[in-house]
Amino acid sequence: MIGALGRVVATERKPNTPHEFHFWTAISSPVGIGTIVRVDGAQPMDGQIPHIYGIVVEGFSYTDLQSPMHDVLGHDGLPTLAGFASTERAEIRLYTAAVLRQIPEEPLQPVPMGQVFLAEEADVHVALRMDSYLKEGANTGIPVGVYRAGGTDAVIYLDADFLLGPEAAHLNITGVSGLATKTSAVEWLLASLFKHFPEEKGSIAAVCFNVKGPDLCYLDQPGKVEQSDEALYEKLGVEPRPFQKVEYFAPYTAKGLALNTFRNNEELLDNVTPLTWGLREVLQYAEVLLNKDDIDAKADALIDFITENVVDKEFPSDGILTKNHRVQSFAELDAWFRDILQGLEKKNGESWRTHHVATIRKVRNRLSNISTRCAGLVTDSGAVSDLPFGSFGDKTVYVVDVANLEEDAQDLIFARIVSKLREHLERRDLGVKHLVVFVDELNKYAPGDGPETYVRKMLLDIAERGRYLGLVLFSAQQFRSQVHRRVVGNSGTALFGRMDPDELSTPGYAVLSPATRTKLATLEKGQLMIRHPHFTQPIFVRFPRPAVMQGREGSERYPQSNEISLEAAILRALRPLDPTITLPWVQEITALYTEQEVIRARNATLLARPHDVKAYFSSQFRKIIPAQPAQRPMAGSIRSVPENDPYGF
Amino acid sequence: VLASSSGPDAASRAALRLLMRRLPGVSVMDGAASVEPFAASDPPALRAASVIEGTELRAVRVPDFSPEAKSGFGAFLDGTQKVQIIAHHGGMPIVIGTVSAAVRIRVDRRLTTWAQEPPRVERKIYLPLRYLPALAELGADGIQASWQIVDTSTADKSGEYPSQHPAVLLERATRAVDQEREQLEDWMAEAWCAKGATPIFIDGGISRSASVASSSLAVGVIKSHRTLYVEGDALGIVLGLRKGERSSVFRVSPRSRSAVMSWYLRLRGVAGRDPLWGLVRVEVAERERLSDRANEISRWIMAETTPLSLPDGRWDKLAYGVRDCEEFLRAIS
Repeated sequence: MIGALGRVVATERKPNTPHEFHFWTAISSPVGIGTIVRVDGAQPMDGQIPHIYGIVVEGFSYTDLQSPMHDVLGHDGLPTLAGFASTERAEIRLYTAAVLRQIPEEPLQPVPMGQVFLAEEADVHVALRMDSYLKEGANTGIPVGVYRAGGTDAVIYLDADFLLGPEAAHLNITGVSGLATKTSAVEWLLASLFKHFPEEKGSIAAVCFNVKGPDLCYLDQPGKVEQSDEALYEKLGVEPRPFQKVEYFAPYTAKGLALNTFRNNEELLDNVTPLTWGLREVLQYAEVLLNKDDIDAKADALIDFITENVVDKEFPSDGILTKNHRVQSFAELDAWFRDILQGLEKKNGESWRTHHVATIRKVRNRLSNISTRCAGLVTDSGAVSDLPFGSFGDKTVYVVDVANLEEDAQDLIFARIVSKLREHLERRDLGVKHLVVFVDELNKYAPGDGPETYVRKMLLDIAERGRYLGLVLFSAQQFRSQVHRRVVGNSGTALFGRMDPDELSTPGYAVLSPATRTKLATLEKGQLMIRHPHFTQPIFVRFPRPAVMQGREGSERYPQSNEISLEAAILRALRPLDPTITLPWVQEITALYTEQEVIRARNATLLARPHDVKAYFSSQFRKIIPAQPAQRPMAGSIRSVPENDPYGF
Repeated sequence: VLASSSGPDAASRAALRLLMRRLPGVSVMDGAASVEPFAASDPPALRAASVIEGTELRAVRVPDFSPEAKSGFGAFLDGTQKVQIIAHHGGMPIVIGTVSAAVRIRVDRRLTTWAQEPPRVERKIYLPLRYLPALAELGADGIQASWQIVDTSTADKSGEYPSQHPAVLLERATRAVDQEREQLEDWMAEAWCAKGATPIFIDGGISRSASVASSSLAVGVIKSHRTLYVEGDALGIVLGLRKGERSSVFRVSPRSRSAVMSWYLRLRGVAGRDPLWGLVRVEVAERERLSDRANEISRWIMAETTPLSLPDGRWDKLAYGVRDCEEFLRAIS
């Protein structure tokens, strides 16, 4: 056992309270902001020596110097002479600690005088109430990092019941950009979660929305792990290796040839699936893309009519429509609109089935726009390639790369995927029991002010009700103060990396001491401050660098492919299904067809993943009978005229 | 030296409780009053001393002193005393005297308490037993079991008892406390001279103890100058010393004390101040090569002028290490 490193002191001007106490230490003692200490009371209470656990939140240092002027006078105004004084002034290190826990917990009294010790690992467990969820047989601890102070290395655990529900849930991360704090912390935490999530609580998977940069694009590729990090991994009981099961989803570029993701390098395409939706999928979430001015009651009624009666149904001709329609794509929907409007014009009509011509024109305009605004995601053909709702795999990460998409498309993807996840979790048929959804840039998606958006409503809904379904939000942002209060307020656990000083000056951080705020503003990479329901005060921990390839390294090693030729795009898409496919074969098969037809055939093949890829792909094209050159008719011989025949013609 | 504090401390309260049981008529003071030291009864005086460095006293610039000069002192010694009137009985003052002394050693430029001889704090009750018949009838044994009692009403060398005047009895008590403090300081100094390894800076003279006065480790630095060991022209030379100058070394041989060699040293510029500003007298054991010794020790003492001892009013002469001793004793006594 280590000897005492300090003594509790209290004065009338600076008394101790049940939640705060003061102590002094030797100048060389290994105490700093965030250090956890234990006070052993001098007087027993009910036969038990009280133990008080606290975390250092403020530090003071001063000497017996009464005025700075005395020091100036003492050294004749020359700072250089100060170093030659034979004696250093008497100096104090005085610390203020916030109480983490008192034992016994009742009666709750001001912290008594006593000796102060550096908390050892067992003390840390008690101080943070981790002893209540690290019990043998009922261990729900998820390692989040290592607390380090003096010679103490203690693993800090989060309670899975309070991280993923049902008691509390959700996690929010704040930190400045560019220090790899937010993404790294989530990657590390997911690795720890997958390793330590209690089996009896069921299966777990994660859906990560990659909203910027390539950081989440190489989760299955090994990254560089420093020796110091290896020690951390060992201490935390997690293997330093990349995620074993990762699936990527990304829409195509607007041209539709290459996938619109940083991870479209040919070497990495084996687990990248196109994300494409048809008319039906989009219409369900039209609200996401249409603002309130667009969808008044009349327009809403027409959209509902189309969804219910037109899409994927045989719609017969009537007095206005000139022919039968079967609408399965945006192109067919547009043809249907065109037919109605032309019919109305011919008959000089003003409404069709109670829908006014102006409303029809407006809805046509807005819906047609969607396929343009979300090109690459929304297919004219109606082909759907989606996340494997219903067959989610345990300990699998599903990354949806929306980093390069327009805002509308991002919103649509987010809204639809989260809604589908929610629906499946409600029906308990997603494939896993618990699902973590990671969303970065919450400042943008759930701002504290600004108009009410569909995405923000959804995030609020997850934050407030998701834990009952097993749907847990891991969110991140640079400025927590600008995120909707109900989103961050419902996050049971909060992580803080290095913070912007301006952000720290906002009222939300007023509960932290000035020293803690200063420490937050200067945190190193790999350090976090944690708030968790079991911890009465924020705790500082160190976590290892994720064992996955970082975005910058990944994008250098696997450069993103530029827009390529149609044939090359087809080859790239089909080769993972059948490695025998060659570029000449693709060129031969597609030579006679339009680009749209070729893309449609590719999408169908990718969706079907047939056994005989070549045959299936070829079968998607209409038959074209090659034109035969016409035989030149045999010309009859012309009788020659005798040279001397004067009547010959 | 007086270390005063307001209000009765725990020790005073304990003594009071004891006395109130023994002396039913005792009148308790509202807040134990600390007594300021009485003005010394000896009048200021000039006393001749024999110069032993040269033939006549002169001013000597301490050679080779610079702000970078290192001090050779490894320790500091000082004592404190506190005199508190805690009660009266029949007008007779009942006094608690607290004396303390400590050696603070310097390790890596920081001061810490000498572990071999921990600081000493002693408390005694000073009573004029002759004028407290009630206590005499009850017997003082019970009190003495818990507290040491010093009778302030004993006869002096000529066999005369002190007057019953409360001020006289209080002065007697104060002098007794003063002597207790000196004894404690001497005891600590002797301990250092026996066990210590480096020179010690002692606040005050060293001639009371023969072993200290003859030790090469002890250096006494006297700040008060009720007696100046110079006469005639020599007085002008001492009072005219400039910063960084010392007087010639002379021998001080007080009655019933050990002879030591001594010199005056000006620590700070005197311009605009009284002539005794920044002036200390140094006492060391007699040794050969006294000029070199006086110069070396003078350099050490001058090196101790930083850090300043402000806000102490005696900062012109008070070494920071000595102030540290006082602050330390104030905290523990």
